[in-house]
Amino acid sequence: MSEQPHAPHEGGGHGHDAHGHDDHGHGHGHGSRFIQHHYDDAQHQFDSGKLGIWLFLAQEVLFFSALFVAYILYRHHHPEIYSYAHKYLDVKYGAINTAVLIFSSLTAAWAVRAAQLGQKKLLIGCIAVTIGCALTFLGIKYIEYSHKIHEHILFGRYFDPCVSSGGVPLLTKNNECAGHKSTVEWKDGAATAGCYQDIDQDLAMPGVQADCKVEEVRIELYKPASVAAGATHDCAKVPAAIARGTGATFTFTGTCDEVMVVGDGNTVRIDQAKKVAVKGQGNTVQANAVDSFAGDASTKRVIAKGISNPQPALAGVTDADVDGDKERSREVKRTPIAAQCSERAIGHAEGHEEGHESAKQTYPCWRVGFQPAVCGRKANKEQYGVIVEYGDHEERDHSYRIDAQCKPTPKVDAPADPLAEKVQPLKVGEKALSPYHRPTTHEEHELEAAGPPPEHTNMFFTIYFAMTGLHGIHVLVGVLVFLWLLIRAMKGHFTPDYFGPIDFAALYWHIVDLIWIFLFPLLYLIH
Amino acid sequence: MASTAHHVDHHAASPGDAGSDHHDEHHGISHVASIKVLVGTGGSLLLLTLVTVLATKVDFGANINLAIAMAIAVLKASLVILFFMHLKYDKIFHTVVFLSAILAASLFVGFTLMDTGQYQHTNIWNPDSPPAAPVGPRPTTG
Repeated sequence: MSEQPHAPHEGGGHGHDAHGHDDHGHGHGHGSRFIQHHYDDAQHQFDSGKLGIWLFLAQEVLFFSALFVAYILYRHHHPEIYSYAHKYLDVKYGAINTAVLIFSSLTAAWAVRAAQLGQKKLLIGCIAVTIGCALTFLGIKYIEYSHKIHEHILFGRYFDPCVSSGGVPLLTKNNECAGHKSTVEWKDGAATAGCYQDIDQDLAMPGVQADCKVEEVRIELYKPASVAAGATHDCAKVPAAIARGTGATFTFTGTCDEVMVVGDGNTVRIDQAKKVAVKGQGNTVQANAVDSFAGDASTKRVIAKGISNPQPALAGVTDADVDGDKERSREVKRTPIAAQCSERAIGHAEGHEEGHESAKQTYPCWRVGFQPAVCGRKANKEQYGVIVEYGDHEERDHSYRIDAQCKPTPKVDAPADPLAEKVQPLKVGEKALSPYHRPTTHEEHELEAAGPPPEHTNMFFTIYFAMTGLHGIHVLVGVLVFLWLLIRAMKGHFTPDYFGPIDFAALYWHIVDLIWIFLFPLLYLIH
Repeated sequence: MASTAHHVDHHAASPGDAGSDHHDEHHGISHVASIKVLVGTGGSLLLLTLVTVLATKVDFGANINLAIAMAIAVLKASLVILFFMHLKYDKIFHTVVFLSAILAASLFVGFTLMDTGQYQHTNIWNPDSPPAAPVGPRPTTG
């Protein structure tokens, strides 16, 4: 090929090479000064470069294939995540970017042709358009990414979306979504509305959503009852009581949390008590079962179970043990919260000044293990809260930290059943139309998209950001490469016998386009 | 074989060209793609993009929709590789290099999917009875 009569690099109709030191040739008789010494000729240099770029492209395929394996494996295991999470992505942006990249691939390929034919102006134009398209692609990516950052639709433990993929506001762990969702409202230093507790996560392990069981509890505050001399107190009514007297007899039935006795020479009969405290001389306590006992040495104890055998020495009694004025709390209600339910009443808005007293306050009930917050109302010294029992069987009590109230999530109106009300006159042999409407796949997806994300949805965005991020970096590198080529093209470096860099950069650009051709349907167009 | 740049330019751009002739035609160093091929490839790619977006809107079932999308993506990728990347006119060895990479990537995917059983512990629920889909506001009747 070297003997072929090449046009000199000034050829092709634009002979304005300003380089006076142009020493093309080096004894090889080539037109371009960019043919290196160690190649036989331009063809040899081009072929070597081309093999090199193809090996690099093969490496690129393997490089990206690791992420595609992650994608496929995760989609195989968790299809529900993909069908939910892809609705967060805007097909419009993905489609525009696909078209932009395809068009830039066309201009890149055309740039190669222009370089091969020595069309300098066309070459410069094609490279410029390619760069413009690449920057457009990155600009649209910027719009997409910044929206996701704003809405907390991010990777790993940073995934805490403000809205469901169907656009319904969600309650997030930290309530940092301004504007369109329920946020905590403060009044006189106390939260009056909104949810702010992050109870869905095992705090010891960031990023791991613990498998947990959630129960609603109601806590009541009360003061211990006073028991008159000779009277009988039912601990089922008030679990703590104080008895004051001298030489009297007190009887406690049921299971008591706390029995306090103040005085001398009393006889106290107890069925069961968790704690008994006696202050005074010569008192007698008869009980079936007592868990802990405080008193002085003159107290006589006849206890059948619990600490009776052997009875430990008495530790002495303090004033705090027999404080009958201090408020105690007791659990008055505990209800398991169903794993799946749409809404659940958590109490009436009694005495609420807002006017709709009859309306039940509701909170969204979430899948166990993704319990963003459960909120209750503080009324009449009662507190609502939740007990979270984690998969490790450790119970963590969140009942006192939550006293906010959720705004109810917007309701989706149920589609009216056109057949429910109608009487169907039937003749013999005719089949009745079934009023049951089986939801279509589309309707099911819409319903799912209105709810909270399924577990591990963050993984979709981990994969999404890894794939599109790596691809975006490739686009950025492409911009830099084409900028360099643009400068060289304007200097007139490229000639019909030296256009390798254009060809190789275009090949790289086509691979970047190729990867996006797969990323677009895999990420945006999930059905 | 064209001997000068001017000749090729004229040759490729002349409207009455038999397309198949100059497809096999090489410039001094490498194959020059005709404008017809370039624009045709680009147009087909844009058209296929439109088709794949529209195909998603029709419910053929999740697996068939995925198969359609992937088939279109493979078709688009083939167009890019064959015409934009000149692999159709290029040395056969470059095709071998590229297909080796595709083969290796397929092996990665294939072997990973073969032993998916090894990854069961990543499920925190029983895969045979997965929890129901997340439930949002639910219709009160029906």
